[in-house]
Amino acid sequence: MIKLLPRVLCLGLLFVLSQKSIAQTTSLPSVFGKVIDASTGEPLKGADISVDFKKSGVTTDSLGQYKVYLPYGEWVLKVSYVGYNPYRTKIYIKANTELNVELNNVTKQLEEVIVSSAATKRDIQTPSLGVTVLSLKGIKKLPTMMGEVDVIRSLQSLPGVSSVGEGANGLNIRGSNVDQNLIYIDDTPIFNPTHMFGLFSVFASDAIRDLELYKGGVPSRFGGRTASVLDIKMIEPNTDKFKMQGGIGLVSNRVMAEIPIIKEKLSILVAGRLSVNDFMFKWFAPDYLKNLRANFSDIATKIYYRPNTKNTISISTYLSHDYYRVDSLFSIENVVAKQTSFNYGHSNAAIHWNHYFSPKLNMMVSGSLTDYSTKTFAPDTVNTIDLKSSILYRNMTASFDYQPRENHKMNFGVTGTRYDIDPGNLNEGVVSRVATVKLPLEQSYELGIFADDEWTLSPKFTVQAGLRYSQYYRMGAGTINEYVPGQVPSLNSIVKKTTYGDGEVMASYGGFEPRLTMKYSLAENTTMKFGYNRQQQFFQLLSNNTTPLPTSRWKTADTFIKPQQSDFLSLGLFKTFNENVYEASVETYYRDVRNTLDFVSGANLQLNPNIETQLITGKSKAYGMELMVQKKKGEVSGWVSYTYARAFNQMIGDYPEVQAINGGDWFATNYDKPHTFNMMLNIQPTTHHSFSFTFAYNTGRPFSSPSGSYEIGGKKFPVFAERNNDRIRDYHRLDFSWTINNPSMRKQRWEGSWVFTIYNLYGRQNPYSVFFKSTKNGLRAYELSVFASPFISLTYNFKFL
Amino acid sequence: MSLSLKNISFYVLLIGIVTWACVNPIKDFVQIDATSFTTIEADISDDTQLSKIRLTSSSNRLISQLSLPISKAVVYVTDQNGTKTSFTEGIPLGTYFPPAGFKGVVGSTYKLYVKMLTGQTYESTAETMKAVPEIENAISRFETFDQYSKVDVRRAGFTVYLDFKDMPTEGDFYLWNWKHYERLSFCATCTDGGKFDFKKLDCVQPKFPTDVILNYMCDGNCWEISSNNDLNVFSDVLTNGQRVVGRQVARIPFDNWTPYYFRLEQRSITKNAFAFYQSLISQIQSSGSLFDVPAETRFSLNIKSVTTPSERVLGIFNVFSVRKKIFIIDRRKNIPPGEEPIISIIPGDTYACPPGSVGCQDKAPCIESTNRTKITPEGWVF
Repeated sequence: MIKLLPRVLCLGLLFVLSQKSIAQTTSLPSVFGKVIDASTGEPLKGADISVDFKKSGVTTDSLGQYKVYLPYGEWVLKVSYVGYNPYRTKIYIKANTELNVELNNVTKQLEEVIVSSAATKRDIQTPSLGVTVLSLKGIKKLPTMMGEVDVIRSLQSLPGVSSVGEGANGLNIRGSNVDQNLIYIDDTPIFNPTHMFGLFSVFASDAIRDLELYKGGVPSRFGGRTASVLDIKMIEPNTDKFKMQGGIGLVSNRVMAEIPIIKEKLSILVAGRLSVNDFMFKWFAPDYLKNLRANFSDIATKIYYRPNTKNTISISTYLSHDYYRVDSLFSIENVVAKQTSFNYGHSNAAIHWNHYFSPKLNMMVSGSLTDYSTKTFAPDTVNTIDLKSSILYRNMTASFDYQPRENHKMNFGVTGTRYDIDPGNLNEGVVSRVATVKLPLEQSYELGIFADDEWTLSPKFTVQAGLRYSQYYRMGAGTINEYVPGQVPSLNSIVKKTTYGDGEVMASYGGFEPRLTMKYSLAENTTMKFGYNRQQQFFQLLSNNTTPLPTSRWKTADTFIKPQQSDFLSLGLFKTFNENVYEASVETYYRDVRNTLDFVSGANLQLNPNIETQLITGKSKAYGMELMVQKKKGEVSGWVSYTYARAFNQMIGDYPEVQAINGGDWFATNYDKPHTFNMMLNIQPTTHHSFSFTFAYNTGRPFSSPSGSYEIGGKKFPVFAERNNDRIRDYHRLDFSWTINNPSMRKQRWEGSWVFTIYNLYGRQNPYSVFFKSTKNGLRAYELSVFASPFISLTYNFKFL
Repeated sequence: MSLSLKNISFYVLLIGIVTWACVNPIKDFVQIDATSFTTIEADISDDTQLSKIRLTSSSNRLISQLSLPISKAVVYVTDQNGTKTSFTEGIPLGTYFPPAGFKGVVGSTYKLYVKMLTGQTYESTAETMKAVPEIENAISRFETFDQYSKVDVRRAGFTVYLDFKDMPTEGDFYLWNWKHYERLSFCATCTDGGKFDFKKLDCVQPKFPTDVILNYMCDGNCWEISSNNDLNVFSDVLTNGQRVVGRQVARIPFDNWTPYYFRLEQRSITKNAFAFYQSLISQIQSSGSLFDVPAETRFSLNIKSVTTPSERVLGIFNVFSVRKKIFIIDRRKNIPPGEEPIISIIPGDTYACPPGSVGCQDKAPCIESTNRTKITPEGWVF
């Protein structure tokens, strides 16, 4: 195709020059035919016929017929009609040729949805309002970073979803902290969604069917986090036919297979991804990262069994693993170690049983487990360190879908979770000069009962009302410190320690969580949606870093750490145009969270048994407006969005005179970026190739700017008097990708495709942070950029069907 | 790029033009806020040379403005018995010194009082001087960092590791400083054709600059002092009572074959001082990663204003005991073959008075400063 291009262009020029005379000459052979609507068979009048990318001036008549005279040779013919997908073909003219064309109406085309605002879940019959669904097929069209299809990164092109910067770990959704979003893969939670300290998401893209992001109306079946839910579903393996697909990329190699074992009854999915990037650090990394070693892998499996039409059973597992070795970057403080290694990963498993009692009632019973473990070690010195931590999550849920009438759906159930946390365990059973430190294990129960009722009261008005009651128990064994009343808790102010035995309740919290969403159709294509949620969170991440480390500590609520509670209000207006080809939306929200955490200056969070001495509690608030226009179908599709969003914290603490941050005033969070503009454009002229562009702009995030400097020991240090009082430069980036499907253009079982991507096309050095260093000439400000130049990558993907 | 797959196996063609994270200085950084704070840096030590208290008003700029000294204050410390030691202002201004021979005693508890001319009074919390172990051993090892090029002075050098036995008590905190003295041949260098003015003690530039560089020999002994740029602190929280082995304290450049004079100082500091230094480290030493902690200055950590309790006071009341040890590092030992020092050559000519000229001076004096001294360093054997 590429070779053909110059010739075609030259011929095109010739054609323009002689167009008129050719059209009038009847001795030349002609191309003629009829253009009709593919679905109705109606002739299309006035369709344009272009030859070699130039308009020929020929259009179809009222019977849809046309005729063009062309010299002998090879020509590119295009037939186009407003509202229809154009048709292109290459023809070799030796004699008069008949070419009948059927055009597809864009509005009737199946949406190749990347984003949609309606839930499409099959297993739960309760569609929610205010949900964003992303299909993996759509995500794969977006330009990638280093050729890795990345769920977390793609989500960031949606309004309301951001992060503190490139390479940051986790998502900030509508002003949430990263730990306030619940991330599920097949109903098992993910505590750390990224590999390589935040560069890539943990989800092996081949194993994912779709993902639903509940950033507004969260159904009551979800609980335990105060912001959003990202519900990722793995593919249900095909029970008929063996399928395989995979890819070879710059960062990792992937393979996925769907293997039917018993036709229409039992099949298995296996998907794996393995990174190959050690060499990149050796060859390309800057000096200070040359000794870095970083590798990761994911394996997802799913066994799907359908013994009969009434029952399905699926068992899914998900394993992720990371390994790093770094020179000194994040060594444990106060230990002498030249190199430190890290291991961490998830081991998730879930079993689901769906039973269909009747067309109106079905049941889902699931048991799920997540084990997230981290290990920090330096084995090769006398100062051996071996620090382990883990979270064990076990859940049982039973839920029912009941649909008494077409316009009335219910979902209700019970759920129970047990958490066992090993917050830190240094050198247990290890011979070393470094001490053994074992933090007490933490265990807790989180129980919930929930019901959602969706009722279409009239064709115009749908209400979904839900209620969840969550009850939390912090269980023994354990010890609770009591501090001198009226004094800031510190090691010196402990007056009493109360010890609880195994199985004794040490603290408990509970409360109702009402959920409400309403949809009202103002006109045929215009709907208004309103949502209100209350959510509680009993389990949170303790991290004072810009973005959390994979080894950051998670903590369940206790006597001192109260559960977070949020109230969320949203109002949106949605309109579709031109038979669903275009969709426009505007959404506004306000979010208010109590009992959020911050940390005292110089907080020591690692291996600290009295963590309450390091904490400051406060409030958060976030509000914003999201505007989005999408073109969902056609040769050119995509979206444009603008978001105004703010996120603030107020950290006063129980002892404001010593604990208050910024004098107790509200301050911007690290992820407060008022203006965001995103654009995605996908151009698919043929099924064989497509081009995508994404553009992202946002206001720079806040940083703390010094108020001056002072001297200690003859050296200058900056004075930071206020938190987040200034902003880094604005961020903007353009990416491009070109996908070529099946370059051989032959139908065969093995189908390859190439994806060529340029990330950060114009090479902007977007800042991640601003920081200060002392130099011989005093203090200087510096900017850190994570991806400071265009990044070109090429990935080969294959399918075997 | 060919799109035909015929001749290409699946496992080829992975293109990666990679430039990673980069750090750029911000030119013309503009501060959003400019505020001065009272700064009290008070050192009480068991070394007669090291106890002093400096009072300044901090600079409201990051660059090129000095802190203003606060003079004529009343400054004293008391110990657990109520014994009062007054500090008197000396030179430079704003620096207050104890009576000659004063030294703190390990185990004693000190409290600082400051009363300024404005009437503002400040008081510290009581800090107890902890004992410091002897520096047992320091070893230097020739190590190369091959990520740097052969001509980069950062590549080859000697890493100095320290061994010491932690005190048996819990809650010990350490800080290390080092100093290096290098004898100077030239005490002044005038560039652009300038000449040294022996009255002004500075170079005088000609009207029309040339590219002549003149070096003036020293008129006596003169040493250049260099010291650690980074703060280096350690807590025994994970190694109480153990022998701590291989703590890196310095990196010495391989820029000559000559022996390297290295004076190491080991301090035992208080918990508050440790927290203070750690906050400084997190602000400017370990900053610049993806995972920075919030940059926050620890105001009023152990010195508070009595008159205005809400006043934010900068600085630290640092009570410490100290041990010093001098090492001469032999830069000829254990050097692998092929490794050569990168010796920097001083450009220019040596100025000499023309023969027979009268009243001509060609030797520049050694001017005392924080990085230059005439006084022979302790243990100088060369």
